[in-house]
Amino acid sequence: MSEYKKVACHFCHMNCGMVAQVEDGVITKVTGDPEHPFNQGAQCPRGASALDHLNHPNRINFPLKRVGNRGAGQFERVSWEEALGDITAKLVELKDTYGAETLSSLGGTNRTDDFARRRFFNLFGSPNVAHTAPVCWIPNFLVEAASYGWAAFDPEIMNTRCVVIWGHNPATSYLPEMRGLLQAKENGAKIIVIDPIFSETAAKADLWLPVRPGSDNALALAWLNVIITEGLYDYEFVEEWTVGFEELSERVESYTPEWAEEKTGVSAELIAQAARMYAAAKPACIQWGVATDQFGRGSSAGAQARAALRIITGNLDVPGGDVMPGPHPEFITDWEMELNELLPESQRQKQLGADKFKLNTWPGYQLLTDNMVRVWGKSIPAEWFCEANAPMLFRAMITSQPYPVKACIVLANNPLVSYANSRLVYQALKSLDLLVVMDYWMTPSALLADYVLPAASWLERPVMTTTYGVSDWLIASERAIEPMFERKTDVDFWRELGLRLGQAEYWPWENDEEIFQYRLAPIGLETDSYEEFVQCYRMAFAPREYRKYQERGVATPSGKVELKSSILEQLGYDPLPHYVEPPFGSEARPEQAKAYPLTLVAGGGFMPFFHSEHREVTRIRLLRPYPRVAINPELAKKMSIHSNEWVWIETPTGRVKQQAFVTSAVAPDVIQAERGWWFPEKPTVDPELMGVFESNINVCLDDDPDTCDEACGSWCTRAVMCRIRKVGEGD
Amino acid sequence: MRWGMLIDLKKCVGCHACTVACQNENHLPLAMKYCKVYKVGPEGEYPNLTSYNIPIACMHCQEAPCVEGCPSGASHHREDGTVSINPKKCVGCRFCLLVCPYGVRHMNKETGAVEKCTLCVERLETGEVTRCTETCQLKARHVGDLDDPDSELVRIIHKENARPLYEHLGTKPSIYYIMP
Ligand code: SF4
Ligand code: SF4
Ligand code: SF4
Repeated sequence: MSEYKKVACHFCHMNCGMVAQVEDGVITKVTGDPEHPFNQGAQCPRGASALDHLNHPNRINFPLKRVGNRGAGQFERVSWEEALGDITAKLVELKDTYGAETLSSLGGTNRTDDFARRRFFNLFGSPNVAHTAPVCWIPNFLVEAASYGWAAFDPEIMNTRCVVIWGHNPATSYLPEMRGLLQAKENGAKIIVIDPIFSETAAKADLWLPVRPGSDNALALAWLNVIITEGLYDYEFVEEWTVGFEELSERVESYTPEWAEEKTGVSAELIAQAARMYAAAKPACIQWGVATDQFGRGSSAGAQARAALRIITGNLDVPGGDVMPGPHPEFITDWEMELNELLPESQRQKQLGADKFKLNTWPGYQLLTDNMVRVWGKSIPAEWFCEANAPMLFRAMITSQPYPVKACIVLANNPLVSYANSRLVYQALKSLDLLVVMDYWMTPSALLADYVLPAASWLERPVMTTTYGVSDWLIASERAIEPMFERKTDVDFWRELGLRLGQAEYWPWENDEEIFQYRLAPIGLETDSYEEFVQCYRMAFAPREYRKYQERGVATPSGKVELKSSILEQLGYDPLPHYVEPPFGSEARPEQAKAYPLTLVAGGGFMPFFHSEHREVTRIRLLRPYPRVAINPELAKKMSIHSNEWVWIETPTGRVKQQAFVTSAVAPDVIQAERGWWFPEKPTVDPELMGVFESNINVCLDDDPDTCDEACGSWCTRAVMCRIRKVGEGD
Repeated sequence: MRWGMLIDLKKCVGCHACTVACQNENHLPLAMKYCKVYKVGPEGEYPNLTSYNIPIACMHCQEAPCVEGCPSGASHHREDGTVSINPKKCVGCRFCLLVCPYGVRHMNKETGAVEKCTLCVERLETGEVTRCTETCQLKARHVGDLDDPDSELVRIIHKENARPLYEHLGTKPSIYYIMP
């Protein structure tokens, strides 16, 4: 007998709805769910490969314990009992010796339920939890939250007149979003794409602004200049709802389009034309793009400028504009599940990076939370928004400064590939006394672990899509089957570890479904089980309201939308938008730049991969078997490089090789290297570690905290001086 | 009745989902692809560029050289207008690989017979769309009856002035494209 389960794909953030056909406990088919609002029955190549992923012979199915030296790649199968028992004993010993802060954790994007991790950590007493938050969404979100009390990350593209796609390429990353964009275009919306690369999305735009890598902030400042000088802003909204407009006007006076032309390489005329196009369209919206979090120093300054653009054009929280969803009013959000109140002040102060990068650590998070709770009744989760800074964490692992970090639990993350300065990360992981990795696969990072634990993937676990509890809607999906072999969910893992460490009273639920059922209860639908909610309702979208500030007020200290941010000022940062030299360009380092005449863009998602994932799935891998570096034909000719030849990419930090992809999509003095590369088919033994240092572009990136974003500690991936040369024989 | 398809190149982003979903649907060997997606461009000089993607599979030609040239009668037209291969009759002579102007036929080394896109006729017969149409996140594909002037397919073909690829070759394909 066939059963049909409503599941959700976890291979990217879209969480497309899927229907799994299950026969006698075996999944026979996975297709797109036509009733799901995002994918409407479709699947991208990753989603279409769901069964290859589930049943892959390389999946980790049982707990493994290291038997040889660290990095020798030798493991033996152990029971969960033994693995968890050993880990618990070691954690107790380390905590007694060094304090709770010696335990850290690195998490991945999506695929896990992070509230459970934070709950465990708050109870354990350590503030040192991290993702790749500083380079993914968080700087933009928090700068916006400081300006207007939440992030306006829900642009209503379908009802807008103009969409600005800034540092984002949904045509290769979020296909359902791209469909919406093309529909909006059919409805008459103008699409402006800002990207140094002629991306798949730029190819479909009305206007493409080919900025020099890292110059986005200059462009945003010039837009502010044009819109204010030419009086294209929303007088009424600015007058009634904002503070700091005069200071802003003064500040951007010198950032003329002519000034920005020199920085961006885009003509002053085109800059002004684009600014007018955006400002004249009512409503308009600016879509968040991850590239804008990855400029290193100056990332949040750029976010300040974009926040100001949304504000002065009057697009904040209006239909077809930049909508601020706020938290779900009834659903128990991640923030409510985290137990942050149980982490003592003394431990908060120890959070690594909190004294330097203050916006996304406890100092800033506390200020934001106080304001959000006043207006929304809830705050944003500490996961992602209040974390240890990863570059500081790695340095603490190596130097034991300011205190020893001896243990790390890694989930859904392959740190050797996902953080800048891979060789430093390598040194850091090797300095640990305890490294635990929970994953689907044996990865280069897992090869260094003491314990590798088998993770259940999305067909084997329920998935609740809530954008970490910062949006006012949720979509619930069930598991198709119980986890295969001895795979577990991360919630199971944290709970079982918690039970062993005396946290029993805080883990009353037996499994993921019971937790979700508990969290859904306040919605009041009176379903008997989580599965019943999935089958009967599946979604809970709060009624959409606009201009919520009129009734609720604004969650900032002044109760107004702050063009001059008092929270940033209080934390010691420049409260107004301003220009910052990109840290690794010729402007900041003219001498070094002579030896490195090209600019490296080390990022950009590309189909069919998601970050460092899916290299094992053969059908997917065959679509893109080797890493590619995009090189302009003019540069290729000058250096006698042909397509598919291996090329060294060198920066002052390191070098890796990728295959040349000769294309005019990049400018002659720019190259774009693919990220996330490692080779599961290569030798596993340290230091080869599945070729993790061969083509992984993070080997070439520096994460020196002084080059990172001042407020959020983002490292720079998007504009780094470099040079290339052809790989010679025996080279 | 004549099954046909329309592919909107204004929408296609070249994601290869159709390629992969089709491989899984038809349990194809890893390297065999009934449907391939090619990237055209970028043409021009940075930053004055254009680019698009084009998925290509069997065109289900009405005047099909592969059918005309097949010595064993394995390649044939079905009543619904699609071109089909009877694997039991195929002798593996590969003549059709030579005469097909679209390069969409493949020798399956495991079976010794030639294969290609079937336009998912079994699915169409049960009221489903083809697997590639179903999986396309951009909704770039439409299937339907080319003989039915009221079908959505024919309506869009007229409205958008969609044309087959290499029409001048005279094979009268049943696959239409909206050009970018
Ligand atoms: S990976 Fe593809 S199918 Fe899965 S959620 Fe993302 S877009 Fe949807
Ligand atoms: S699935 Fe759709 S968008 Fe993707 S390559 Fe195929 S036709 Fe193009
Ligand atoms: S495209 Fe090729 S294989 Fe298909 S019908 Fe035409 S000639 Fe035959």
